[in-house]
This record gives sequence, structure tokens and C-alpha cells, in this order.
Amino acid sequence: MTTGVNTGPGRVLVAVYGIFALAASARAGVQIAAKFSEAPLAYSLSAFAAVVYIVLTVALARGNERLAVAACLIELAGVLVVGTLSVVDSQAFPHATVWSGYGSGYLFIPLVLPVIGLLWLFGTRRRGQG
Amino acid sequence: MSAVAHGPALATGTLLGMFSAYSGWVIGAALLLAVVSLVTAIRNRPMGALILAGLVLVELALVVQAVIALPKAGQVTEQATFVGYLIGTIVIPPAALWWGRAERTRWGPAVIAVAAFTAGVMTGRLLQLWDMP
Repeated sequence: MTTGVNTGPGRVLVAVYGIFALAASARAGVQIAAKFSEAPLAYSLSAFAAVVYIVLTVALARGNERLAVAACLIELAGVLVVGTLSVVDSQAFPHATVWSGYGSGYLFIPLVLPVIGLLWLFGTRRRGQG
Repeated sequence: MSAVAHGPALATGTLLGMFSAYSGWVIGAALLLAVVSLVTAIRNRPMGALILAGLVLVELALVVQAVIALPKAGQVTEQATFVGYLIGTIVIPPAALWWGRAERTRWGPAVIAVAAFTAGVMTGRLLQLWDMP
């Protein structure tokens, strides 16, 4: 009963991902509705980040490990790529997305979260088999 | 906690003063709840009546805050964001309660700690948005 990905510490992970899903969706929604033409690339990535967080929240909450691992990898790649782009080419990212500056506007949680997520997912898998 | 620099506006100054004073208490209550929940989780206890009562109180305070602030959203530059934060603050605690209560271990209060901390931070962001010219 306690080996599931959505119980114990996994419950906290779902809570944090849920909050990020909410924050990223709201932020992307405002950006796209109000000023999409200002920075289409950044705001599209913002929306993409929101979708990744929503998928992750649902996958983790429902215990869909395979989907959660895939989404965690995409999230990690996203925060690294967008973080690097926002530092190298700040012109393309005039307004922050969740992943800008490696998530510096969110206490770097977006950078740490996928690593914790992957560790947790692989940890429960190993415990489940052993 | 209420280290918000007040603008020169006179008419809205008193209103902002009242709002930030109230919100200061809301932030304090939310952070206190976060600390109590975190301590409970560290002590390896499930959620008890204290955390439940605290969460209900914080939620009531957040609803009052939203009722006060919502009609004033027109005065804020980042209107959509402001309203989004107000809705977020009142939605998160019940969602956390629903999700955290099912877990009768230390991880139940840990969920509440995350939610209470988030509600406190979001209230702080509300104050900043309100203060923005």
C-alpha cells in the first residue's frame, strides 16, 4: 500500500506539481491572452511548460509511472534548454517564463523538481521489484 | 512582513494600508500553519485537529481577503494576474486538505505545509501587485 508512487512522499510531490501546474497555466494564460505578440516564442514555451506540469500532476496522482518518467525527462530538458536560452539570449525572453533563469523566479524549484521526481520514480520502482 | 513601500497616492493610501495590514496577518497565519505542519511532519505524526482548525481559519481569512480585494482589482495594473492570485489563494487550501487528509502518515501534514507556505507567498505577491503603480 505504501509502495505506490502517489502515496507517502509521492503525495507531497503531487501537491508541489499541482501548484506548479496551476501557476504555470495561469501565467501562460495571462501572457498569451494579453500580450502574445510581444514574445511569441517565450509565451509558447510558457504554455508548453504548463502542459508538462499538468501531465505530470495527473500522471503522478494516478500512478502512471511510465508517463511520469517521460514527462519528468521532458521537464528537465525544458528547464535546462529554456534556462540556458534565457541567459544567453535574453532578448528572446523579455518576460519571464517558469523555466527562465533555470526557474530562479521560483526558488529554482523547477530545476530541482524533475531530479527529485526521477529519483522518487526510480526509487519506488526498485523497492517494488525488490 | 509588511515591509511594503507605500506609494504616494493619498486616496488609495489608506485603503492599501488597511489591506496590507490585514494581509500581513494572513501571511503570518499561513506561515505559522506551514511551520506547525512541518514540525508535525518532522515529528512523524499524522494530521490532527490543530492543523485542520488552522487550515479552516486560514482559508476563512483568505476568503475575506478575496472579498475585500476583488472589487478593487480595477485599480491594479496587472489585473488578470491579481485576480488569478486571489482565486489561487482560496482554491489551494481546500485542495490540499482533500489531498492531504487521505494520507494518515507524516506526509499528510507535509502536503498542508507546502500549501500553507504557497498561500502565504501568494498573498505576499498580491501585496506587491497591489502596490505596483
